[in-house]
Amino acid sequence: MPKKVMIVVLMVALATAVFATGSPEPETETVAIEIAYPVAIDAPVTEILDGYARAFEAENPNVTVKPVYAGGYGDVKTMIQTTIDGGGDAPALAVMLATDLFDLANAEYIEPMTALLDDMPGSDAYLADFLSAFLANSYYMGNMWSLPFQRSAVVLYYNADMISDAGLDVPNDWDSLAEVASALTVRDGDTVTQWGIEWPSGWPYWLFQPLAMGGGQNIVGDDDTTVYFDDPGVIDAIEYYISLSADYGATPAGVQAAWGNVVPNFVSGNTAMIVHSSGSLSSVLSQAPFEVGVMGIPGKRRGTSYSVPGGGNLYLVSGLTDAERQAAFDLAVFLTDPARAADFSIQTGYIATRSSAFEDAAMKEYVAANPQAGETRSILADGGKELSLQNLGQVRSIFHNYLQAAYNGEMSAAAAMRAAQEEADAALADFR
Amino acid sequence: MSQLRTKTKVHLLPYLLILPTLLFVILFTIYPTISSIVGSFFQQRLNIPRYRDPVFYGIGNYTDLLGSAGFRMILGNTLRYVAAVVPTTLVAALGFALWLSHKRHARFRIAIFHPTILPMVSAATIWMFFLTPDYGLFNTFLRFFGYSGPENWAANPNMALWSLVLIAFWKDAGFYMIFYLAGIQNLPGDVYEAAKLDGAGPLTIFFKFTVPLLRRTTLFVTTVAVIGAFRTVDHVFIVTQGGPSSRSSLLLYHLWQVRFEYLNIGQASTITVLLVALLLAFTISNFVISERRTTDA
Repeated sequence: MPKKVMIVVLMVALATAVFATGSPEPETETVAIEIAYPVAIDAPVTEILDGYARAFEAENPNVTVKPVYAGGYGDVKTMIQTTIDGGGDAPALAVMLATDLFDLANAEYIEPMTALLDDMPGSDAYLADFLSAFLANSYYMGNMWSLPFQRSAVVLYYNADMISDAGLDVPNDWDSLAEVASALTVRDGDTVTQWGIEWPSGWPYWLFQPLAMGGGQNIVGDDDTTVYFDDPGVIDAIEYYISLSADYGATPAGVQAAWGNVVPNFVSGNTAMIVHSSGSLSSVLSQAPFEVGVMGIPGKRRGTSYSVPGGGNLYLVSGLTDAERQAAFDLAVFLTDPARAADFSIQTGYIATRSSAFEDAAMKEYVAANPQAGETRSILADGGKELSLQNLGQVRSIFHNYLQAAYNGEMSAAAAMRAAQEEADAALADFR
Repeated sequence: MSQLRTKTKVHLLPYLLILPTLLFVILFTIYPTISSIVGSFFQQRLNIPRYRDPVFYGIGNYTDLLGSAGFRMILGNTLRYVAAVVPTTLVAALGFALWLSHKRHARFRIAIFHPTILPMVSAATIWMFFLTPDYGLFNTFLRFFGYSGPENWAANPNMALWSLVLIAFWKDAGFYMIFYLAGIQNLPGDVYEAAKLDGAGPLTIFFKFTVPLLRRTTLFVTTVAVIGAFRTVDHVFIVTQGGPSSRSSLLLYHLWQVRFEYLNIGQASTITVLLVALLLAFTISNFVISERRTTDA
């Protein structure tokens, strides 16, 4: 009998212990905020971010900042979504893809910054200082939603030594790009020992966009529900990509699962040109024993080149108290300070987000030593709009399916893009 | 009076004992299942204001999904993946177990088992190096035999899914081996002695004694392996992201896409229901078939 009672008491105690939650909140004036940050590049970003957080705390003694590193962009977004859907406390500030704006705002995962900016002295000058290409994804429904933070662009890296040694000129249109790539492809029997160009398929839509623009039509329209997948210019661009392997033999055929391999291939001199993120610039410059050239992707017409921005912005996550919202916004402004934007750019290779950052002494010194870093800024001056629209996840996945089918020769470029346009229009119908 | 009290207590105690487990099962299994079934009949899409709150949609989610060629392909991918991973892993696990059940080979057990203790994410990352185009381990190995392709395992539409099968096989065979090892070590020695005395050869012994005697183990391992195969998704994230053209997309990966990228909660619930139904159908038929064989024997 006492044994049974004891078992019952133990069970109840155990159940209580298991289900008991919550801990007493400290009753102080301090505001504690978290910033969710995706690690997307090969640089010591966690150390850099920790340093910024400590510096912010030193300036704002009543705020504690805890950086949360939860994986890449996808992981951070999923983490924010599950935390909010589950009614938990999500980090106050998060770096998420600039293109995620519409879905995040529609689903009320983020809060607008408009009111906070209105209260901020000199906010117009502050916003005007950001590179305009980077602010393109910050406005929606009459509100301002995000501040550019770690931003990049699609660029073509070329081995300038290899090109001049072969007596060639730097490519300036589709034909010369294909010819240079073909001339710099080296074969030993059937085996290729050096590729002329590598165009990886990680982020398929992103690396393809400058090519489509070069063909005469960006895949996305200016509003938030229009895509131009079956435009002749887009189809032309796919056919050009295929011709680089099929006609010129200058790049491996088909979809290339090689995002992480092409930078090592390039710096070791095994590939003459690569298409990659400008975020790899620091790592390329520090490793390459040759003269590295950086430019936009040459277009079909002579003398044109194109690029699109990429990367992540700072978002205010919804469900904040007034104090948390203000602290998170202050932190966002602190992180985008010109000197800090310059420092972050130098340390990581991301493009400094503000014009005044390029006036920073350290940045000037860095650009003087590495002119390519200044080059990325001018490449973006005539950059197009990155694929960003309503229902982005689904539309992007439709486009990827058909782009890859065309790359792999399973469908003709025209048939694939017709199907992609049809499915994307259906997926966007509810949003028009 | 006192008799009655005792009776009540006897009835109460078992329930109290399973209470914590029951609460967990209700909270984390029964409630989500029911809520998914209910959710699958509603149109709820977080990125469309008018569908942010659920709107009744009948069997619309089911007809949308099953009517889409893309979803049918993902379903087919998943079935092919499971049908490839489970039997090969099981046969290999049994083979390893037979080989390593001898004391003198015991030291190899850790070598076979070690992939199991790696997280799938690490395993998949290691395999990325094997599958790398151009200079990856596999291509280098094949080139040694004078074969110059296929070069791009994870991006080739005809090989991406099989690359995932290969990774899962490498990772899981050692795990299921442990169950077979335990099963083999519990086999009755006298039966084997008698069989040997009767002059049965090794093949007869294997097929007429070992395999039937291990049926219980096999039932358990198949069930766990099938559920495991449906559930694994980490390597899809790391190696192929379901590509190229969704040719290596699996049900659970697509579920993640629909829920977190398309923000379509109703459709995600529907995929969950289909996944649970598939698993239930398999597990129940597996048990029924196995039980019938046991009673026949």
